This record gives sequence, structure tokens and C-alpha cells, in this order.
Amino acid sequence: MRETLTPRERFGLLVIDEKPDRCNIIPLVTSHAAEIARMKLKKYYTNGEAMARAQIAAIEEYGHDAISIFSEVGIIAEAMGSDFDYPDDDLPVIKRPALTKKNIEDIKIPVPKRDKRLPVYLEAIGYAYQSLGDKVPILAYVPAPFTTGMMLSDPKTFLIQTIRDPDHIKKIMEKSLQAAIEFCYDIIDAGALPIIVDPLASSSVVSPKAYKNFALPYERALIDFLHRYDLDIILHICGNTEPILDLLLETGADLVSLDQVDLSLAIEKLSKRMRIIGNFDTSKIAFSSPEEIMEEVKNMVKRGIKSKKGYIASTGCEVPIKTPPENVRTFINAAKEVGWYWE
Amino acid sequence: MFEDLKPKKINLTEWSHQFRKISDQIIKKYKYYGNQDWGIYLSPLATFMVYGARQLKRLKFDNSFAALRLWGFVFNESERLFRAKQVGKKVIATMGDLGTIPVIVMSFPDCIPFYPECIWWTPFFNESFILLDMATKLGAPEPACFSRAALAAFYKKAYFPKPDLIFASTGASCDDYSCIMQLIEGLGYNPIWIEIPFRRKSRSYFVADDYEHTKWGIDYPKRFETYLMSEYEKVWQNMVEFTDINNRNYLAKSIKNANRLRKLVENIKKLSYEAELAPFPGLELMVIEFGNLYGYADFDEWTDIIEMVYETISERVQKGEGVLNPDALPIAWVTPSPDPYLLNLVEDLGCRIVATEYVINQALVEIEEDIEPFQALARSFLNASLIGSTEQRVRRIIEGVEHGRILGVLITNMLGCSHCAMETRLIQQMLSKVPVLSIDVPAPFGITEQLKSRIAAFVETIRCARR
Amino acid sequence: MIGYTCSYIPVELLAATGLKPYRLLHGDIGLSKDGERLLRIDACPLVKSNIAYIVKNQDKFTALVGSTGCDMARRMFDIVDELTDIPVYVLNNPRTDNPKIFNDEIDWLVKELEHLSNRKLNDDLLRLEIERWENVREQYRTLNKKRAANPSLISTSDFHKAAINYYKGDVDAQINITENHSVNPRVYLIGSAITYGANQILELLEQELRIVGDFNCGISRFLNIEIKDKNLNGIKHAYYNQPPCIFKRPNHKFYEWTSSQLKKYACDGIVAWTLDYCDSYEFELKRMESRFGFPILRIRSDFSFQNLSQIKTRISAFREMLCSKI
Repeated sequence: MRETLTPRERFGLLVIDEKPDRCNIIPLVTSHAAEIARMKLKKYYTNGEAMARAQIAAIEEYGHDAISIFSEVGIIAEAMGSDFDYPDDDLPVIKRPALTKKNIEDIKIPVPKRDKRLPVYLEAIGYAYQSLGDKVPILAYVPAPFTTGMMLSDPKTFLIQTIRDPDHIKKIMEKSLQAAIEFCYDIIDAGALPIIVDPLASSSVVSPKAYKNFALPYERALIDFLHRYDLDIILHICGNTEPILDLLLETGADLVSLDQVDLSLAIEKLSKRMRIIGNFDTSKIAFSSPEEIMEEVKNMVKRGIKSKKGYIASTGCEVPIKTPPENVRTFINAAKEVGWYWE
Repeated sequence: MFEDLKPKKINLTEWSHQFRKISDQIIKKYKYYGNQDWGIYLSPLATFMVYGARQLKRLKFDNSFAALRLWGFVFNESERLFRAKQVGKKVIATMGDLGTIPVIVMSFPDCIPFYPECIWWTPFFNESFILLDMATKLGAPEPACFSRAALAAFYKKAYFPKPDLIFASTGASCDDYSCIMQLIEGLGYNPIWIEIPFRRKSRSYFVADDYEHTKWGIDYPKRFETYLMSEYEKVWQNMVEFTDINNRNYLAKSIKNANRLRKLVENIKKLSYEAELAPFPGLELMVIEFGNLYGYADFDEWTDIIEMVYETISERVQKGEGVLNPDALPIAWVTPSPDPYLLNLVEDLGCRIVATEYVINQALVEIEEDIEPFQALARSFLNASLIGSTEQRVRRIIEGVEHGRILGVLITNMLGCSHCAMETRLIQQMLSKVPVLSIDVPAPFGITEQLKSRIAAFVETIRCARR
Repeated sequence: MIGYTCSYIPVELLAATGLKPYRLLHGDIGLSKDGERLLRIDACPLVKSNIAYIVKNQDKFTALVGSTGCDMARRMFDIVDELTDIPVYVLNNPRTDNPKIFNDEIDWLVKELEHLSNRKLNDDLLRLEIERWENVREQYRTLNKKRAANPSLISTSDFHKAAINYYKGDVDAQINITENHSVNPRVYLIGSAITYGANQILELLEQELRIVGDFNCGISRFLNIEIKDKNLNGIKHAYYNQPPCIFKRPNHKFYEWTSSQLKKYACDGIVAWTLDYCDSYEFELKRMESRFGFPILRIRSDFSFQNLSQIKTRISAFREMLCSKI
């Protein structure tokens, strides 16, 4: 079938509850793009233009439906004072969380145009927007307050404090929220749609109760802020989210990106109010044969496009960096084969 | 909404900053079709930039709250049309006549008229060739009016929903429109064609026709009134058949509504053009003028917005405040520019737009309320810009020049546009008492330094002439 | 003379004034360049040429009759009005399937022409003119049969030279066309007007092809006017119901009629001749390819004929392609 729409037009229809020609296909091609561009990872996450170039190379290679400006979830925490190492061939690794050096009161809200690698994102957005912004939506991944909070602390201490000192955690959350809002503010002005990512709020990491008390309220606050702009907001939580599926409705997100969840169950519970994104197993995209991927993606998409408010065919989480390009292509081809809405 | 806001033109980032001061309550207050979930439209310009309107990064906008409402509403139109269908309203495309058929369509409950050809601004706002390239693939030649983008939009079905009915005008309307509409028909759509007669002006040697004058003093053969009325009757009958509603009282009400907006816009233009300082930017004023066509798919809400704009402008005029330099040179603008940036540019280089001829005179003139509605519509339409002679079209500009209100004239042309090709030289000749600059609007993102220099030289010439 | 511009303007009415109807079909690069002093470069070259011709020859014209055939053709009289004192009469020709306005406009034209010529265009006078022009058209129809015969017996280039007499109002001129058989691929010509000066393009085409039918203003369109009732109503009926101009909306009847002609004349291909910025055809070319299902050779021109050798090569290639299909 012939494609009629550009990714920008396709996404535009999805967010106003109209069925586009086919479903959007947005595997989470993030740092994997550096591999496609044959670029050192360090260059990808420290140089905005390089990040954009890699993303554009990936779009040209795969023809998926959005650019993903993202490297890892520590980016706000780093700008708030956490130290990271920058390995040449790997993503930044946290060295020393900010709250092991100073008190929460002493942590400043970062200035996105200035602090640490936040300008890298903004530069990448600007470059990508200028190059492809009329055809392809630019998605910028913003760590949610809970995830940033945990990256500001020693994770173990953080989790213990959610029980022993919830007020302290809430202070961290408030500050992380402010930082995320400031970052979103500049992301929007640069031309990208913020995606809220909260991997550390997954049920694989924290209990549903902790999620409800410490992650959800700040996800919702951030989403509420973005709704002032009348933007349609994606919330991505990887790992297992089945125990919190009902709670996700309370976040107010317009689109929800899921990982280790039964897709049919998610559709049943969420699709009246949310558009569903997901959720191909990332280990399968990295390690399965193209034939297996073809079949499983088709099965997934056939179920996905039944979702009432719309569906984006995607991977449950980031496409692993070393995934064979053939597999990503197969994913996209499979989705293109069965994901049609129009006759 | 904002305190102590000194009127000025600000960019998108400044608008975003200003937007932060607006409370959630205010944001939720303004909505179309009364819907709270998706009907909110008070968004900063950055929102629309995120969704692809790239030119917004370069443009400057009025900093008033009314302007925020205006832009939010205008940029929301595409979604509004889709939402209209989703909630069971009927979406009626009314192409080519530019101003009259929507008044009939709005007489039918829940019928929303719109002008697909107004999508000609989209390639420029988006700085994108997507629609124009697609139009070429579908058969539209490249040297043609940028409204050819409508052809691609019909094909793509992503900019407005499939219309429930299409009324397409032909005859003495622009040929490019008519050709584009014919290609749209070739895509499988089924327009109802409406014929617009050429308004033949009276001549000393004519004996056969009785002539009448429009409100704006334009003469026309009386029988064309009757002819147009029969065409409007055809529109009415098609609407009756489609909606199963037939109540002529609604038409009178629709005319009243249209007049309410037309009066407001006339007052806005008068205030803006006659004030010592320009109280509102030319780009916003152009958008306001075009709103008369169909109210950007929610006529009542648009009228409400225009009332707010009117209040803002009145207040500024009272206070003696303006958005341009006091020494800005008054010029007339002939033929609208599909590239909004040009309006910014011309003002930045020292001009102030005090008269316009945007080919939609028929949508500006008030419709008579004390005669038979179809006759009133016909008589208002007979003021139309493009259906008669060039002299009639620019008569008001000529008067402005004669009275010294207009010191220069800028004509924007589209390469391959039939009326531009024929009229521009003639207009230049008719207005030769003042400097006249004729420019071809380049393709999106195509305004060059050379073009800027030409406009700067034009401004300098006016300045010299004034001295 | 009384100049006119459009196939919908009844030549019988013009002739009934006692003036000689002269179809404005001027198209050469010199005139077109002159016209550019008055119009933008992207105006139709035919319109530019016609304006320049009128301005240069204004003494020859007692009046001009135009139509709303296309926007530019209609607007050319605005310019003429500014530059000359020639009375101009622009009538609304049919743009949709609604005869009312056309019929009214013909009535209007009759009254204006009566006033202009100080002559009553009564039934007797009209009958005379109708018979005179029908008689001429009949002679051309006979020739056209030879042109359309298979193999074709006369060339369109020769037909065009002869038809110029009709367009220039020289109806009493002898029509002599020497037979010139051709077994070249048979093509149908459509598109913008073939002007008086465009005969060379027909000659060039017919070196390799044979044009057996056409739907351009300026060649044989007038043959489709067949006035049965020899009165004003007969004129209205015949002119309104002629095969429709591509500009009539919707234009499916143009396609239907042309398709039938393509079959009738056993054509192998189509040559589409378009003048620069001629919207009516430029916009439809792509659709024509799919609607007609015939190979189309597109020739675009501004009358400069500077690229004749290039066109010649393209004609040869087109011929070759048609031959391979035959």
C-alpha cells in the first residue's frame, strides 16, 4: 500500500483522535542511532549536532516516524550536580550522585541552555528541527522527577527514604519537577515534543505504592504543566508496569509507552483514554531472527491497531545499541505490512 | 490578563515567557464548540511550532492577550475541523467565492463552512514543500497560485476532514482556483459548481443593460443580481437536501451574524489605519480580514475574539500607543501575501500598512438586512475584488493615494497566477503617483537578501518622495 | 473589422453588423514581447500578442468582442480599454452546465451590436448570415473528412492555412487544399490555441506524424458549430452545445468528447500543445495521460520557436515510440 502521509502528518492525526493512513511506527531508536551513523557514543551524547546527525541518519536508514533526542536518563540529575563518567564507547555512567555531596536545599535548578549536557539536547533538537522538522516530529525524552530524584541520590538510600523520610523524598521530587519543567520549557521552544520517561518508577524497581506516592504525583504535575501548552504528552515507563496500569490513567498522559505488559490487557484498561505505544520485547529485537521478528511484530501490530484511541508500533524500551539494523528494518517492514487503517 | 503591557511585537520565545504568567483558569476559559477536553485553544505560539509551524520561530507577533487568543484559534483550525466531524457537525467546503456562500451554509444548524484554499499559508508557516510537491505530483503546474496546496491537502486528508459537501465557484473567479478544484474533483470528490458572472462595468456606449451600484459604488448589470440569486438558491437547495432543514429565517440570522463581524472588522481597520500610531501589526490585521470569510470554522468564537481585539486596539488608540515606529510610512498592500514573513519584514523595514486589497472585498462589505436575503447576498458579493475590472478593484487605493493617505503601494504576486499576470502592470500604472513595488512571492523559506534590499530601496524611495 | 477572441462568440452575429469578424489569434514572439511591456512575463503569450496586435492596429477595429473563456482572456480587455478607444464587449460564456447566463448574454450582445451598427439584427438578416457561415463550414467539413480519412488525405498544416480565411472573416475566399496522403502515425492535437503564426509547428509535427483531428482554438473547432434552426435561438443552442471548452466545469464532457474523437479518428497518440502559463491545459496534462490512455507528446511554447530542433528530435522519438506500438 502506498504511504500518503509524512510522519509529521501521521502523528498529527493520531493526537487528534483521527486514524492516519497507517499506524505510526516509532521504535525507540535512541543511542542506537550512533551505531547507524558509525559514531562514537561519547560524541553522540556530548555533541548536539552529532546527536541530531545520528538521528537523521537513522531516519534515513529506517524510515520510522519520529526522531528521538535521547541518550540516558541521568541528564537532568547531572545538570543538578550528580557526576558522570563519559566512556568513549558506552553511555554516561553515574559516578557520584549530587546528594552524596550536598543537601537538597543547596541544589540549584539548572539552566537548560547552560548547564552540563542539557544544551546538547537543545542543540540536537534545533538541528533536527531545522533539517526535518516539517516532515518528522521531534521527540525529546525528559526524565521524570522520580527517575531524576533517584539519579541525584544513592539509589538504595533513596528507596529506603521513601519509607523512612517521605518528606525528604518529596523535597527531592519538587526540585526535580522544577528542573524538568525548566528543561521542558526550553525543549518546547527549541521545537520538540517532550516525552516523559520514568524508567525507575517501573514496578520492576519500585512497588505500586511507592509509585503512587512518589512518582505519579510528579508525573502528573509535569504533564499538567505541559498540558498548559495543549501538547499531547507521552509517558514512557519501561520494565513491568502491569501492577500500575490503572494508576497510569491518573497521570493524565495522552499517550502511554509500555514495555513488559500484556498488550491486550493494556488496551483493555487504557485505550479509552490513552493512545497505546509499544511494546516489542527489546531482547527479541536484538537477538531474534528477522523471521521471528516479522511474525511477532505483525501479531503485535494487529492487536495494537484495535486500540480505540490509536496506537504507535514501538519497542518496549530503547532499541539496544548493538541491535542488527536488519532486525530494526524487519520490525518496521512488519508493522508497515499490517498496520494500515486506510483502505 | 497581563499588567502594564506596553504594546509591541515580540518573538516566539518572548511569547512563551509571557505565557507563563497566564493562569490555568484563564487557559481553560477559552474553548471552541464548548468542549473542555480538546476545545482549548489558548496556547502559546511555541505549541504550534512544536507541531511543525517552523516559521513561527522567525516571526514577530503582537504581545496582547487578544493576539494570543487570535493566533491560538487560527492555528487550531485544522484540529477544529476534524473535531467538528467527530462531534457530528457537518463540514462544508466552500471554495472560490471567498465570502458569501459560508453565510448560507451557516444558516443550517451544525454546518461548518471552511475554505480549503486558505491552506495556501501552510507551506509558508511550516517552511515546507510537502504540500506543494504533492500538488505537483497530482498535476498542478509549479508556476501557479500557492493555493494549489489545497489539492495536496484533499489528497492527504490530514489537514481537514473529508468535506460533507463542496461548493466550488468558477467563472469570473481566479482561474487557478477553478483549475485546482477541477483536479480535486478528479481525486473523486464531487463539488457542486457555482458560476460567478464577470461584473461588466457600464460604458457610455452600452445600451442594453440596466445598471446598479453596490454599496461601495461599483456598477454592475442589474440582471447579474438575479443570476447570482439563482446560484445561491442552488446552494440553499443542496443544503436543504443534505440537512433536511429548510428555514429561511435562519438565513436572516446568519446575515446578522456575518454583519456583526464585518462591522467589527471595518471598525478595527478604520481605527488601525487612521490612528496616529499603528495600534496593531499588519500580519494580525491580515489574519483578521481573512477571518471574515468563515470565522476560521467557529464563527461565534471568532467574533468574540475580534471583539476583544477591537477593545485592545481601541484602548491603545485612546492611550496613543502603537506597535511600530511613529515615522513608519503608510503604504497600501495589494494582493495578499501567502508568506506571512513578508508582512513582518515590510514593517521592520519602516512601513505601516494603512490600506489593503486582499481580493476579498466581498467579505468585508456589510450585507443589507432590509431586503430579500439572497438579493442582499448577491448585492454584497457584487463588490468582489476579482470579478470585475482592475480599476474597480483598486479604486479605494487610488482614492487613498489621491488624498495623500497612502505614500506607497506594495503588490505581491504569485508567479503563474492569472490575475497577477494581467493586473499588476495596470495597477502600477494606475497608482504611479506614488512609488509602487511589485514583488513575486518566492517559494517557502525563499526570501532573500536581494528581496529585502528591494523592499528597503522602496521604503527609501517613499521617504525621499515625502521629503 | 470586429475583433473577437473565443469559440463561443457567434460569428454570425458579428457578421450581421456588416463588419468583418476577425478572430484574434495572434501569436508570435515579436508581438508577445511588445505585450510584455504592458503585462507581466507570466501572462499568456497569446494574450500578450493579441493586445500588442490590437494596440498596433487599433484603427482597423470598430469594436472588439471578448469572453470570459479564461481569466487572462477576459482581463485583456481591461488593458485594451485603458490603451485604446475601441468599444469592447465582453460576454460571459458558459462555465458550468447552465445555459441561462449564456442565453441572456447573447441577447445582450445582440442589442449592443444593433446599437453599435445601427442595424436591426432581425430574423432575416440572421438567417442570411447563418446560411452564409454554415455554407463555409460545410466546405471545411468536407475537407475535414479527407483529413480524418485513413490514410489521411490532407494535412492539418494545410487545413490550418485554409481555415485562417474563416478566422479572418474572408469567407468568400477560395478554399484549395492539395491532397497529400500520409501513412505516418495518426495523432490528435489538443491544447492551447494554434495561432496564425503557429503553422510552422504543425508543419514540423507533420513531417513525422499526421494530425487527423484537433480540439484547439484556431484549427477546426468551428466545424462543431452546426446551426439547425436558422434564427437567434438556433445560434444560442449551437454555440452553447458545442463540444465543451476544457474550462467548463466540471470538464468530464471535454474528456468524453475528446475520447470519442480519439476512437473515431483511430488515433495512435496525442500531441498536447500548451502555451506558457495556459492554466486550462497546464493543470490538466497529467490527468489527460491517465484519462485518455494514449501516449502524449507535450510541447510547451512561448511562440519563440527557438527550440525547434529540440522539438524535432522529440517528435522523432515520439513517432518511433508510436510505430513500435502500431
